[in-house]
Amino acid sequence: MTKHSIMIIDDEKIVGDMARLSLEQDGYEVETFLDGRSALDRLEVRPFDVVVTDLKMKGVDGLQVLRTVKKRHPKTVVIMITAFANLDVAIEALRDDVHDFFPKPVKLKELKASIERALGKDGGH
Amino acid sequence: MKIEYKVYFSNAVLIGLIVLLGSFALHDLNQILTKFRFTVIADELNASFLAMRLAEKNFILYRDPAVLVGIEGMIDDAADSLDEVKDDITRAVGLENYSRLRAYMDDYALMIGEARRHASVGSQPSEEMQKRLRHAGQRLKEFSESMTSLEQRRVGAIIAKSKSVLLYSVWGIVLFALLFTHLIVANIGLSLRKVVELTQSISKGHYEKIEEKPTSDEMGAVISAINVMASELQRREQEILQSKRLASIGILVAGVAHELNNPLNNISMIAQTYAEVYDHLGRGQRIDFMHRVEEQTERLRVIIKNLLDFSRPKERHRVKNDVNRVVHKTVDLVQNMLDVSNIQLRLKLADNLPAVYIDEHQVQQVLVNISTNAIQAMGDSGELLIASRYLADSGDAEIEIRDTGKGIEPKFLDHIFDPFFTTKEDGGTGLGLWVSYGIIKNHGGNLRVESSVGDGTAFFITLPSYMKIKECSDDETQHHDN
Ligand SMILES: Nc1ncnc2c1ncn2[C@@H]1O[C@H](COP(=O)(O)OP(=O)(O)O)[C@@H](O)[C@H]1O
Ligand SMILES: [Mg+2]
Repeated sequence: MTKHSIMIIDDEKIVGDMARLSLEQDGYEVETFLDGRSALDRLEVRPFDVVVTDLKMKGVDGLQVLRTVKKRHPKTVVIMITAFANLDVAIEALRDDVHDFFPKPVKLKELKASIERALGKDGGH
Repeated sequence: MKIEYKVYFSNAVLIGLIVLLGSFALHDLNQILTKFRFTVIADELNASFLAMRLAEKNFILYRDPAVLVGIEGMIDDAADSLDEVKDDITRAVGLENYSRLRAYMDDYALMIGEARRHASVGSQPSEEMQKRLRHAGQRLKEFSESMTSLEQRRVGAIIAKSKSVLLYSVWGIVLFALLFTHLIVANIGLSLRKVVELTQSISKGHYEKIEEKPTSDEMGAVISAINVMASELQRREQEILQSKRLASIGILVAGVAHELNNPLNNISMIAQTYAEVYDHLGRGQRIDFMHRVEEQTERLRVIIKNLLDFSRPKERHRVKNDVNRVVHKTVDLVQNMLDVSNIQLRLKLADNLPAVYIDEHQVQQVLVNISTNAIQAMGDSGELLIASRYLADSGDAEIEIRDTGKGIEPKFLDHIFDPFFTTKEDGGTGLGLWVSYGIIKNHGGNLRVESSVGDGTAFFITLPSYMKIKECSDDETQHHDN
């Protein structure tokens, strides 16, 4: 079975670093990005199974990433994380077909469970 | 007393005076009229007395008794008319004079009657009788004439008196009116001047009051109304300030939540990952993990320190100080940054600055914050100008920090003083200007910015002079210095 690929976008470097360490150990292929722009550039080159993105970022923000991903790779699962637990944004994000939504501080176990759920469902097809 | 009542009162007094004056004048006129009537009568009498005396002379010359009859007729006529106007005459010259006139007339009539009786029996009037007759006639005529001229003189005197009474009273009334008007107007003018001064000072933001007890007139009412307005304005302004503060606390809380959440999340993720991958980590990696935790706590510490700086009690270490000295100390602190970024420093410090009353550490922090922003805005080259000057208008000291950096976009200008507003990709807390603004405001000063994109930015810090602070808020400082 090929490794599932996960893209992590957060302007906090530690989020990417830690998530990568943890997820790689679980057998995922992980790439991290510090801003939306470079992530979208990368998505032009290759698709990912899961995109975990921070919501509030300078320049291209999480919502823009979500829309672009859904347009280009509709099967990609998007998970949103943010330090800003703002419900309005959450609802808008969900309407735009975000798979899951995590306020910071993120529980890694929950994030991983969510990723598994997403991939399991996906694999079921 | 109300001005309204004062005006009523003064008008009443004036009307009273005029009525008094009028009745005086009326009285005098009446008197003149009576006297005048008398003189008219007296003139007639005098004329007939003259006619009698002429007839009397004729009688003595020609001894014609018929003349005497004529005289008697004239006397009767005169007596009749005298009786007729008795009232007028007594009013003019008194009963006594009237009676005397009558008595003289009766005397004369008696003499004439006697002479006629003599003549009718053909006998010549004696020398003695002629003399008496002439004497009686003379006396009657002279008395009557003297009285007439006396009355004429009296009329003259009354007119002269009335004239001066009129003149003086008119002057008196005019003076009274002027004086009273002046008093009222001066009062109003004085109050108005106070009102003008007060409104001017209110418009400058000093909510003073007119301290002295307001008078009970309309100006007093105006002054109390203005006093009420001043305190109401002050209350409103405080409300606005309060709600602004609340709004900025709102922004702050949202910002704090966000800012604290990131490092907290980082620490949390490090901890979770650390536990997960512990077995696979070498010693160096584990220490690296803990270093990263330490970095994140340092981030938190900086944020918390900035917040505390802002909320710290107002006048903790405020002392009399020299602006230029603080500028020099700041320059020492930022010199290294300037050198690294190859930025020229130009100092233009005035030597006529007033002493200020500041917490040196806090103001230095403001200067460092603003200079740091300026240096960051300029990048690799540019010029930083730090100038100090005396503002003659307000007596304040001003510090200008001007850079030749990229400038601030107009749409950001309103937000740069907001907590957590930053345009910096990394390392910006967005608290620097917010904290600086709070510090300067707490010092009773002002912080404003001018910027043009591409040309650079200038921040202006004004600080009130030591003298002004001591004058204005002596008691306030005492409250805070405990
Ligand atoms: N001298 C300056 N030139 C250009 N922009 C500035 C300058 N000073 C402040 N700013 C803008 O104001 C923002 C807020 O500044 P500040 O409160 O000090 O926070 P920070 O420096 O952490 O971003 C900055 O991010 C920057 O956009
Ligand atoms: Mg700053």
